[in-house]
Amino acid sequence: MTITRRAAMGAALALPAANLVRAARAAEPVAIDLFFPVPVQGMLANEMQTLIERFNGQQPEVRVTAAYTGSYDDTNLKTRAAIKAGRPPAAVIMSANFVREYVINDEVDAFDDLIGQDGKTPSEYMDAFWPALRPNAVIDGRVYGIPFQNSTPLLYYGVDAFRDAGLDPDHPPATWAEWVDAAVKLTRPNGQRWGLMFPGTYDYCGWITSGLVMSNGGQYFNHDYGGEVFYDAPSALGALSLLDLMVNKHKAIPPGVSDANACTGAFFAGRTGMMVLSTGSLSFVRSNMKSPYRVAFMPRNLRNAAPIGGGSLILPKGNTPERRQAAWKLVNWLTSPEISGEWSRFTGYFAPRKAAYDLPDMKAYVQQYPDAKVALDQLQYAVPWFDTYSTVAVRKAMEDQVQALLSAKTTPAEAAAAAQKGADALLRPYVERTALKLPA
Amino acid sequence: MRAERRLLATVAIGAAAIAWALPFAWMAVASLRPGVPPDIASLTPPGPFGLGNYALAWRSGSFPLWYLNTLLMCGGILAVQLVTITAAGYAFARLRFAGRETLFALFMLQILLIPALLIVPNLATLVRLHLYDRLLGIMAPYFASGFGVFLMRQTFRAIPRDYEEAAMLDGARIPALIRHVLAPLARPGLVAFAIISVTAHWNEFLWPLMAVVSPSRQVLTVGLASFTAGAEAGSAWGMVAAGTFLVAGPLLILFLLFQRRFVSSFMFSGIK
Repeated sequence: MTITRRAAMGAALALPAANLVRAARAAEPVAIDLFFPVPVQGMLANEMQTLIERFNGQQPEVRVTAAYTGSYDDTNLKTRAAIKAGRPPAAVIMSANFVREYVINDEVDAFDDLIGQDGKTPSEYMDAFWPALRPNAVIDGRVYGIPFQNSTPLLYYGVDAFRDAGLDPDHPPATWAEWVDAAVKLTRPNGQRWGLMFPGTYDYCGWITSGLVMSNGGQYFNHDYGGEVFYDAPSALGALSLLDLMVNKHKAIPPGVSDANACTGAFFAGRTGMMVLSTGSLSFVRSNMKSPYRVAFMPRNLRNAAPIGGGSLILPKGNTPERRQAAWKLVNWLTSPEISGEWSRFTGYFAPRKAAYDLPDMKAYVQQYPDAKVALDQLQYAVPWFDTYSTVAVRKAMEDQVQALLSAKTTPAEAAAAAQKGADALLRPYVERTALKLPA
Repeated sequence: MRAERRLLATVAIGAAAIAWALPFAWMAVASLRPGVPPDIASLTPPGPFGLGNYALAWRSGSFPLWYLNTLLMCGGILAVQLVTITAAGYAFARLRFAGRETLFALFMLQILLIPALLIVPNLATLVRLHLYDRLLGIMAPYFASGFGVFLMRQTFRAIPRDYEEAAMLDGARIPALIRHVLAPLARPGLVAFAIISVTAHWNEFLWPLMAVVSPSRQVLTVGLASFTAGAEAGSAWGMVAAGTFLVAGPLLILFLLFQRRFVSSFMFSGIK
């Protein structure tokens, strides 16, 4: 008797309690994590945390923890490890040219269904972004990356150095012929001043090399299929010959490999007349360069071209629908015109969404800083970023040769042939299970 | 002849010491220079100098939190390690059991493994044990140390058995024997190991980066990188140097304070 009464009372008490718990749970925000790298100098990590706090404060449904995850490479490693360990983050800002490999390895979810629930087709959705961003984001017809922060290489030059060398700072070199001429004129012997510097370290090296090849009319790699590169095409051979000419013949570029710090250091000190560096460095250069400088498009041989770089938001596989919806909310907020414009002004990256530049703040910014305007104008010539199967290894096949060329250890023709051979061997397994896999 | 040789040795050692100290000297100079001066590589710049970089670095991160987390991590790892390596070292030095040498060889294999190789399996284990994104998760893989076991085995072997036999005659059992007789005698070895362990984990970057997600559980190295690593642009070297001093400072001070004891420990244990 007592037992039943107690049980009945317990049940009576438990029922509303259970309802209460359920109600509380519904109101409780969905907790998700965002992995983000900091590829440029500055207090970007702090700024990102502030941004995420604002997002958390603005709405009750989603609570984001933003985890700083090192460089783009570290972030890639950590994301892979977390996916393999069964704890995928809800969203990651991933180097845009790693997205294809996540697709090939089946480790990432497409955005198509999320885009669809907002009443848009993936194609309509991507129309809001700069067209050159599409090939790194849309793979095999599905959207896998939403561009967040993007850059292109840019030619920075010192006004004083130009005047000193008898060059007109109002007319920066636009063609390769003018470029070589300017570099030679700017060069002072014994390293007092170099004509041109650019980072030859991994990643940067491949990025700039691809830009030279593209300015020479080339494709560099197959933008639609991850199994082909064109390292020994005439366009690539021409680009390598240009480097050989400037480094080994004219001694206008310091021999060997310089890193980004060496380039900016030399540029600030007036020890190089020009440098090629990312638009993502605009804010850093602007706040540290004491003497006047300007920026210009990457010079062309056959056409204007500049490769895209930067990071996209991806959704790793293995998240619950609830977490995916929450991540989608965050992605939409981060890539909104207002926020991406703000991030662009703070970092120097350009805002991937075109509408960001229609906002008054952004218009004022572009007007105030002519260097940001040049970076924006160059976007019409932007080309996709290098991404293939096994991106990093295939990229290095060329970079190792370029680095050898910068140290005068090889010739352009040998470098092009060796790079192609190395890349073909690395791509072979993928090619065999895709393009060469034929019906029996 | 002998004097000459001694002079030569002094010069060689002096040169090595200068080569070692130069980066520190440069770092100290650079950390005191505001902005991004064009002659940042200079060891003897004209100035101006100031502590602005330290203030900037301090403001850029949550240093108190990072210090606390790093202390907890290093302290936690060391505390457990001291117990495990003493016990295991004793077992390999004194106890006789089947397969002892094979087991010891397996322990030694751990020294050969690159920790980065085990990131994914270790992470999977942490997730299963619900230790992912916890400080304890960073520590767990280091609780046993092949190197520490080796060091303690050698240390115990160098201690004459007479001490133990005397203690056993007085009725001491093994745990009491280790605690009251052997561990105090093996102190130089333990101190030497402690220095190596704390320095290694204080400086470690990759594993803490992998094992923890929440900013509230971040350690110094990862925190430092969050505002100093910049591949696409250049670096504000002054602030990087100041931040690095903030990270390395406690270890440097500790070493200066206990220099004599550290050196004698290393001499005793034969590590150089």
